[in-house]
Amino acid sequence: MSKETTIDLACENICKHFSDFTAVDNISFTIPKGSFFSILGPSGCGKTTLLRMLAGFEMPSSGDLLIKQKSMLDVPPNKRPVNMVFQHLALFPTMNIEENIGYGLRRQSVPKAEIAQRVAAVLERVGLAGSGKKRVDQLSGGQRQRIALARCLVLNPTLLLLDEPLGALDLKLREQMKIELKLLQKEFGTTFVYITHDQSEALVMSDQIAVMNKGKFEQVGTPHQLYYQPETAFVAGFVGDSNRWQGNIESQDGTAVRVSTNDGLSFKAKVSADKTVNAGNSVEIFVRPEAINVSRTAPSEQTDNQLICQVETILFDGAKSQIIAVEPESGGKITVTLPQTSDFANLQNADTIYLNWSAEQTLCFVDNPDNRGGV
Amino acid sequence: MSSLPATSPFKLGMWLLLAPLCLWLILLIILPHLELLAFSFTDPEQGSFTFGFYQEFFLEPLYWRTFVRTAVMSIMATILTLLIAFPVAFYIAKMLKGRSKGIVFAMCLIPFWVSELVRTFGWMILLRESGVISNFLQWSGLSAGPVELLYTDATIMLGLVYTSMLFMVVPLVSTLDSLDDSYIEAGYDLGGTNWNVLREIVIPHAIPGVVSGCIIVFMLSLGNYLTPVLLGGKDSLWFTEQIYTQFITRFNWEQGSAFGLLLLLLSSLIVWAGLKVSRQSFAKTMG
Repeated sequence: MSKETTIDLACENICKHFSDFTAVDNISFTIPKGSFFSILGPSGCGKTTLLRMLAGFEMPSSGDLLIKQKSMLDVPPNKRPVNMVFQHLALFPTMNIEENIGYGLRRQSVPKAEIAQRVAAVLERVGLAGSGKKRVDQLSGGQRQRIALARCLVLNPTLLLLDEPLGALDLKLREQMKIELKLLQKEFGTTFVYITHDQSEALVMSDQIAVMNKGKFEQVGTPHQLYYQPETAFVAGFVGDSNRWQGNIESQDGTAVRVSTNDGLSFKAKVSADKTVNAGNSVEIFVRPEAINVSRTAPSEQTDNQLICQVETILFDGAKSQIIAVEPESGGKITVTLPQTSDFANLQNADTIYLNWSAEQTLCFVDNPDNRGGV
Repeated sequence: MSSLPATSPFKLGMWLLLAPLCLWLILLIILPHLELLAFSFTDPEQGSFTFGFYQEFFLEPLYWRTFVRTAVMSIMATILTLLIAFPVAFYIAKMLKGRSKGIVFAMCLIPFWVSELVRTFGWMILLRESGVISNFLQWSGLSAGPVELLYTDATIMLGLVYTSMLFMVVPLVSTLDSLDDSYIEAGYDLGGTNWNVLREIVIPHAIPGVVSGCIIVFMLSLGNYLTPVLLGGKDSLWFTEQIYTQFITRFNWEQGSAFGLLLLLLSSLIVWAGLKVSRQSFAKTMG
């Protein structure tokens, strides 16, 4: 570990058991300085418990937690170089904006004049200069987000924890805040640990994402890795949209396999090299709707997987519109993204479409009923 | 309701619903006070208008000193009750969860199912010269002879605080219950100590409960009759006792009326001053 000095947070075999279940199960990871690290998982996967252990509100049952190489186990929450943006922000309603942001500075016995100056500076950086005298309820949802961030960032924490802070916002504002959060993180250079169940939030903002399920990390990687090279069926199902089939392996040749789905389709697929599968194994198959080429005429060249289907339904959703197609012979169904080209402007139900995609884009995982992710 | 048009069918319903409250206010509060007002300004011999009964209050030191003493003791009882009730309420509202919370809260309530008179006698059984504590002290050799613990100001204070506790705990528990735990956690997370969090987050949030609890306890202590008389004895010098004496012992209804109105007026004045000093508004506290 030559870059040891740049690791802000290291968790070593962290476990948290409650009386009847294990919320966090032997997790180890490190977060380099200045990165945006997300923990993505369905509700109840233990991500909030993990975050609360980082903040110091829960004690790990076992394992160690190091911030800048210093164990935090005996350090109470008010002494950790960690601040948290709460799910509902927890801006103190009895104080105005200035007093809210100054709260942490007053705890460090910073002189009054300096507090005023640092509060004004941080307000300016989050784009809310001059609103220091306002009450919390006079601000909009997006402005409150920025105040909650400013209240933490003014203290220059080593680690900023964010507990799904965008959950309460409406869609448009959430999209806007994602970009804003990312920009603010870059600008301040603070290490962010962000937990969310919304994969789009995690994909857009993060440098690294850990996908968490049932108290364990399924995979840690860049958004790109998680999307294109998911290591488990859970990750493939949880990150991004997928066509998903149960099926069986018919034949195998190295990492290339031929699989048939339970509803009668047959594909060439790829298994990751480190996974061993045998003919007859029950598997799960994932193909992303946006990875499938769609054309209205038969393609000239041969590809790994080809289907001739009929349009069953068109789900119109602007740029994210999808076609649900049926293969007439088997009755198997497949969802593909509707191309926005002029060819498809007059596409109607029962029209014939030609689908093709490569074996690399057909991911195949040995079926493990315990491990099925949410979709 | 005021935004409804005058012809609205809801109008009649509203008045019917308000009728018991209005009857209660008019018959039991407003009418008696008007009667007291009339009494207090009437010279019983000539039937003419007089300020004499009010003058009597300010000219006779016994009366106004008793009032000041009553007010000061009530304020002290209120402060003591607050100091004891706040940790109790915080413990019930924030530290306890689920079943145990309900049980402890009920334990606070149960003593108040017994009448105040019986509870006060309970204190007398404990504290009198031949009472439980006195006997215990003699038995254990800590005291040579019987100890009289009744009939002192401290005993009155004890009784007042005990009687008032519930009326402070209930409003405090309900305001503290409404304080989301994340505010307290945020207070610690940003570097606050226990004292900082209490001072800057918990107390400011609990102020409406503190103020309403204090008003109730102060008014109850000021108007209490049983506790000071039973625990303080003949010399307790409580203002309600003076009113009782005027009405019942001396048959001086005019003087009693003047005292009654003065008690109302002066106690309202103290509450008003208290609200001013703590920069609270009555409407905000009640809303």
